[in-house]
Amino acid sequence: MNFQLTEEQQLIEQSARDFAKEFLDPIAVQLDYTGEFPKAVIAELANHDFLGLHLPAEAGGAGAGFVSYVAVIESLSRSSAAVTSIINNQAMASYAIQTWGSDAQKKQYVRAFIKGETIGAFAVCENGPTTGIGPDALNATKTEDGYVLKGTKAYVRNAGEAGVYVVFAVTDAADPNALTAFVVDASAAGLKVGPRLNTMGLKGCPVAHVVFDDVKVPETAVLGSLKAGREIATRVLALASVAEAAQTVGIGQAAVEHAAAYAKQRVQFGKPIATLQAIQTLLAEAATDCYLARLALRAAAQLVEDGKPFEAEAAIVKSFLARLGSKILVDSCQVEGGMGFSESMPLPRLFRDIAGTTLLDSPADFPDYAIAASIA
Amino acid sequence: MSLLTAEQQEIKKTTREFVAKNIIPNAAEYDKKGEFHAFLLDAARESKIFAMAVPKEYGGLEYSALTQGLVLEEWGYGCAGMGTTLAASILGMDPLLVAGNEEQRQRYFDPIVKGGIAAFGLTEPAAGSDAAGGKTTAVRSGDEYVLNGSKCFITNGGYASVYIILAKTDPTKGVKGISAFIVERGRPGFTVGTVDHKLGIRSSNTVELLLKDVHIPASNLLGKEGEGMKIAMMTLDIARPAIAALAVGIAQRALDECVKYLQKRFPDKLQPGQTLQFKLADMQIQVEAARDTLHHTLQLRDSGAPFSEESAISKALCGDVAMAITTQAVSLMGSYGYTSEIAKLMRDAKIMQIYEGTNQIQRLVISRAVLAPAPAAGAAQKAGK
Repeated sequence: MNFQLTEEQQLIEQSARDFAKEFLDPIAVQLDYTGEFPKAVIAELANHDFLGLHLPAEAGGAGAGFVSYVAVIESLSRSSAAVTSIINNQAMASYAIQTWGSDAQKKQYVRAFIKGETIGAFAVCENGPTTGIGPDALNATKTEDGYVLKGTKAYVRNAGEAGVYVVFAVTDAADPNALTAFVVDASAAGLKVGPRLNTMGLKGCPVAHVVFDDVKVPETAVLGSLKAGREIATRVLALASVAEAAQTVGIGQAAVEHAAAYAKQRVQFGKPIATLQAIQTLLAEAATDCYLARLALRAAAQLVEDGKPFEAEAAIVKSFLARLGSKILVDSCQVEGGMGFSESMPLPRLFRDIAGTTLLDSPADFPDYAIAASIA
Repeated sequence: MSLLTAEQQEIKKTTREFVAKNIIPNAAEYDKKGEFHAFLLDAARESKIFAMAVPKEYGGLEYSALTQGLVLEEWGYGCAGMGTTLAASILGMDPLLVAGNEEQRQRYFDPIVKGGIAAFGLTEPAAGSDAAGGKTTAVRSGDEYVLNGSKCFITNGGYASVYIILAKTDPTKGVKGISAFIVERGRPGFTVGTVDHKLGIRSSNTVELLLKDVHIPASNLLGKEGEGMKIAMMTLDIARPAIAALAVGIAQRALDECVKYLQKRFPDKLQPGQTLQFKLADMQIQVEAARDTLHHTLQLRDSGAPFSEESAISKALCGDVAMAITTQAVSLMGSYGYTSEIAKLMRDAKIMQIYEGTNQIQRLVISRAVLAPAPAAGAAQKAGK
């Protein structure tokens, strides 16, 4: 078993690091401050073929595979996890359309995603206890020539910037567990993006509720088959949790390295604090958590790439980081003491960002249940 | 059942009402703006709560340590940024309780009783955990001292009327060459430098203080020359439980908000739902254990027994619990937590592990006590244990 990236994967990873240095490092602080959608960066990502990395060559993508994809996400996240949140959410939409879409849907959307001309959004979450249940649940009512969508999708990433939304709706009120996926243009009449929500971190990746007020869509807007939405959502969310873990590891690694560099130059009691065992322990544990998470997420990514079942492994990575992801930043900030709490330094931004990549699972889908179910 | 006295319960209730009226409704807005909550000083003036540690003979409330802890927990529950202003003002007054003479107490408790606040200036860029590493100097000149240097991360620094400043009076003597001084606001050469923007407690005022040829009367020296670090350490022993109390408040708030949210949004996952039930139980175990430990520390102090080790234990435990509970709360509240005021609790909690001695410094204090040679038989029983 090989835990190392192949030569090609290493080259791709290196290109992501170079990209991050050139295009993300200069804007990351400002992006966090203003929260303005980074249009110019998205265009550069497309120019450098990062938006189609995970898509097959025949679709216009780079066909690089999922291991490369997560290596790129980790590398870019060291500089700006807000940008990788945009990429990941767009990738969920493009993956779903490429995998389950009709030829017409693929033709219409996938190349535009890869070129960065259209931003995609993937919207499952609702305000009720679970998708499909609750007063605001998105319902699709059949009409003569299509469907009418009514309801609200909650906490939609890329909201307002997306040109197209992949959404999940109940088509059969008697069977609210059976969801159907739809591809909806942002320009559709009745689709309203709510006010932007104030996220603690990942600022620059917009989040808002999206209201569907009798939005008419044609029959051809259905993604895959009727009532196949639950299966699509489950698979894409599992993939996304691996990609999200890559964000966490990137953020965590950046934090540990910053804290270690700080500890080497910060002198207290007549010597650098890096010489104190209490500091070494904090750094060592954080580095250990990053390392183990990286191995676990790469193992899951390899299963994805090989076309094998990966859901349990994805849940394990997710559960591990839900417990320890934030701790990496809590402890890295601790190494820097008062400076680790000052927004003039990088760690507070990373602290706010990592909470967004590790803590957002709803109690409705704790990864623990999937793991427990997988233990035969 | 509460073991608090009727008076303590009444104070807790009154404080809770004050917090509900003045603090909770304003916390999010001031956090967002990162602006000092000056209005709160006006709102609190009549109650003299900023003088709760000041003895009655000087016009203060003279609350017991435990009662102060109850008040601070409620303030932390409402907003740790605002609670920090109160805790740091008391910290700025504690040195007068530790080492102030009658004249100093008469003079400097007065502005606090009248509604002003105090600040404690120990930390410097080169002196964080190594608190004795400061470079600020105080040189005796006739019946004055002349102070030069700078302080950083000073809470209330931009708004205090009275400051305690630690400075070297004899650079050859190391820790024993440091002295503590009272410096009044407005002294020529005493100015506020940069204001810090922080991850949390954003409405509290954290600034750099600059001292350039600041002349103060020799009568502003606290205790004797060279006693500064001793006074500072005794002050921090008293002050650390105040931070612990804020931390317990944060943790309790996070738990309460979490329960409220889960009951509303996921009633079917709570009943039956052992995953959530047990997570909530674990949070409650931590909050309760933290509060009980803190109350024990405060009662030791009120009884006159030594409490230095317990003070460090309380600060480390309560700070770590606040961080863990708020993280867990955001996690249980998912995207709602991340986009609501709950996230503020998590940002606020982080400082509880850092200021007034990082939790690593607390562990140094605790480990020294653990590793100290066993006391002679008969002396081992600590008061209250």
